[in-house]
Amino acid sequence: MANINKKESDFYQDYLRSTHRLGRLVSVITLILLVGAPFAIGAYLGAMPDLGAAARGFLAVGLVWTVSSVAEFLIYTPMLGAGGSYLAFITGNLINMKIPCAMTAREMVGAKTGTAENEVISTLSIATSSLVTILVLAVGVLLLTPLQPVLQSPVLRPAFDQVVPALFGALAYRYYRKDVTLALIPLAAMSALFILLPSLASSTSILIIPSGAIAIGLSYLKFRKTQQEARV
Amino acid sequence: MSVLQQLNSGTMYLICGVIVAFVALVSGVFLIRAWRAGIALGMDKARMKRAMTASATFSVLPSVGILLGVIALSGSLGIPWPWLRLSVIGALHYETQVAQAAAEQLGLQLSGEAMTAGGFSTIALLMSVCIMWGMILMTVFGKRYLARLSGKPKPSAEKKGPGFADAAMTAMFVGMVSAYIGSYIGGFVSGNGLFLFRGSWTPLAVAAVAALAMAGFTWLTEKKHMEWLEGFSIAGSMLLGMLTAVLIGG
Repeated sequence: MANINKKESDFYQDYLRSTHRLGRLVSVITLILLVGAPFAIGAYLGAMPDLGAAARGFLAVGLVWTVSSVAEFLIYTPMLGAGGSYLAFITGNLINMKIPCAMTAREMVGAKTGTAENEVISTLSIATSSLVTILVLAVGVLLLTPLQPVLQSPVLRPAFDQVVPALFGALAYRYYRKDVTLALIPLAAMSALFILLPSLASSTSILIIPSGAIAIGLSYLKFRKTQQEARV
Repeated sequence: MSVLQQLNSGTMYLICGVIVAFVALVSGVFLIRAWRAGIALGMDKARMKRAMTASATFSVLPSVGILLGVIALSGSLGIPWPWLRLSVIGALHYETQVAQAAAEQLGLQLSGEAMTAGGFSTIALLMSVCIMWGMILMTVFGKRYLARLSGKPKPSAEKKGPGFADAAMTAMFVGMVSAYIGSYIGGFVSGNGLFLFRGSWTPLAVAAVAALAMAGFTWLTEKKHMEWLEGFSIAGSMLLGMLTAVLIGG
């Protein structure tokens, strides 16, 4: 995209402001709907939620997910921009779908982080992805009864159990090839950690933070070195 | 009528369907706004279409996996609630884990036979509350956070060459991928006893085949100029990786 002129810059600022207004509004409505639904269902079933048990459950698992949510907010929001972030946090499936999807689209058009182009492409990508998921699930739910034997057949089950490794294998090639030396150290560190403490496998999403910090630290050192070399 | 029958009733479909429809509407509105903004900013329509096509093709395969998650949870929670949770906000690994934790707090098993009306509404509430923080943080802090990170767009920014932000994002992905691949290596080496090499090697084999397939797609795209393949590269690589799991029997 050509450099944006003053008129386009003003338009983009207006677009961002209205995106935040709309994003906040629909996020609040979605929150009310999602938290209200269990109570509506409780009224229908004749048994309201047990708030004490829900609080205990939150202390058991909710805190972990809260930390994970904070990390996701801090890490993914800059990648996705305003529109993409509101939509991604509303529609979910971030790591397994929305983030790689937006990154693929971004790379395809060569958009840079923080640009207007990145904002537009991320939003288009995540909105498209969300609509496809909603459509596939709606059609799937409609066809669930006849589909169930096929999808749950013992033959196909191992394939769907391995969706995440398949995704990360594909992404590994895509990102590792950009800088193999950058990839080796976090991979070696994470492999050593999981070999010594295999029980951490259930907390892999939390360990993205230290692994990412190592990679970003190494990347920053390399970036500084390149800058210094360029000055000389 | 049993609890599971109630959970699959028309009323449940109506409650959940309204929310799914609302989120579909929101996605549609954001899509149209972004498209119009792209045109107003002088972006190439063909590139925007390519990005959307790639996103759509990329999303089909994982969506089928998510649909399987609906099926997996439908035995204990009925179909409409998992359909809602996995269409909106949720993720399969999270939903299953939280539903199980809530059931444990209630002294229940996550199964259709053991499910009670009060148990279900409590599980549903915990599933809703535990994962809403990203949305709340974005609503409260998103605008300020993004403004602080990026500032106002500078007309000459594109001429300065790539900054650290792009390198940092790539590094973050390298970190994320390393965490998962590391967990598969750790699972194989020590999953069934420290350094016994008796853990499951299926995730590693699947990841390796998917990576090889991605290398093939990249070669075809870059060296053979089959750019049209790019939109299918991740989904195709995943499919081939997943096929490996079928061939080696999980």
